[in-house]
Amino acid sequence: MKHVHIAMLVGVVLLAAVIAGCGSSPEINKEASTSAIRAAEAVGASQVPSASLYLQLAKEGLAKAKVLAADGDKEEAESMLLRAQADAELAIALSRSDVDKKEAAEAIGRVQELRKENNLPQGRK
Amino acid sequence: MKPIGYFAVIACAGFLVGCAATVPPPELIEARRAYEHASTGQAAQLVPAELHKAKEALTLAEKSFLDEPKSFQTRDLAYIADRKAKMADALATTSAENAAAAKAAKDLEKTQAEIANKAKTDLAIEQKARLDADKRTAEAQAALAKLAAVKEEERGLVITLSGSVLFASGKSALLPAAQNRLNQVADALMATKERSLIVEGHTDSQGSSSSNQDLSQQRANAVRSYIISRGYPGDLITAQGIGEDRPVANNASTEGRANNRRVEIIIVGNTHAAK
Repeated sequence: MKHVHIAMLVGVVLLAAVIAGCGSSPEINKEASTSAIRAAEAVGASQVPSASLYLQLAKEGLAKAKVLAADGDKEEAESMLLRAQADAELAIALSRSDVDKKEAAEAIGRVQELRKENNLPQGRK
Repeated sequence: MKPIGYFAVIACAGFLVGCAATVPPPELIEARRAYEHASTGQAAQLVPAELHKAKEALTLAEKSFLDEPKSFQTRDLAYIADRKAKMADALATTSAENAAAAKAAKDLEKTQAEIANKAKTDLAIEQKARLDADKRTAEAQAALAKLAAVKEEERGLVITLSGSVLFASGKSALLPAAQNRLNQVADALMATKERSLIVEGHTDSQGSSSSNQDLSQQRANAVRSYIISRGYPGDLITAQGIGEDRPVANNASTEGRANNRRVEIIIVGNTHAAK
């Protein structure tokens, strides 16, 4: 009988722990937004003025989502995570656009310089 | 009438409350504006798929706004729609920049080809100019050979004019007959106008060494001035009096002395032309 009691007690404790765990903070999937933020950082979004704002907003969104999740607002937290993801993805796109803009300007500059050095007429535009 | 009046006021108030609820959240206003901007820019042409995603996101937000205007879902969906529209804009810019870079790369290739072509043409022009110069020099030498003794020496091409043809004895003024001869020499020299010339006066050993030195210098000067007067650049001609120091023949005989009285015109640095 004593064994049964102990087993039941352990079971109750375990169940309580599981319920408590669930109740204290619902699981939210932060994977997509955190990986987007990491990618934005990897492409140097923090160095690009236009992109750095959105990277910052993405991080703030992620932090807000964590708070909402801790408060038990699972749905709202997940919605906030989507905001963060959208911000991070925009930061990535703006960083790339900045890099491409610089590269294009450089390429155009190289052509112009070369033409000038060799006394060739400058192209249109 | 009175109860009806109250009712109307309440109805109005209710209507106003309803109106207030349908004011779109700032996120949606911003999303509409962003989509408007993207759809009227390059995105429609360059990144239609991204613009379509932005439109779908905006449609979702608008639908949510109709169903639950004040919900967090509406605001979040609108926020996401705004970012997707801005994303379409950014990607369109990237696409345009890539196209510009690709064009620049092509231009670079074209420019390099142009430069190579130009260099080839320049080289051909230069070669032709050199050949022309060589030809002119050769012609000039042939012409000079008919007029005077022409000899190729280490110091250059030496044209020797007999002193008795150019000057009266003891004088440094050119004889009229000499001018005619010098005209022809000068004309031939004009073909090699870029070369430096040295005009040297030489005498025989009769008379004092110093007077011979002076005379030879004056004669060299006279010839130099004459060639300049015919159009040769003055800064390329120097005149030197050598006096009796460099005889080409024996001063003991009349014939030898006559040969020693002479003016030499040296075409300096006759590098590759004279053959």
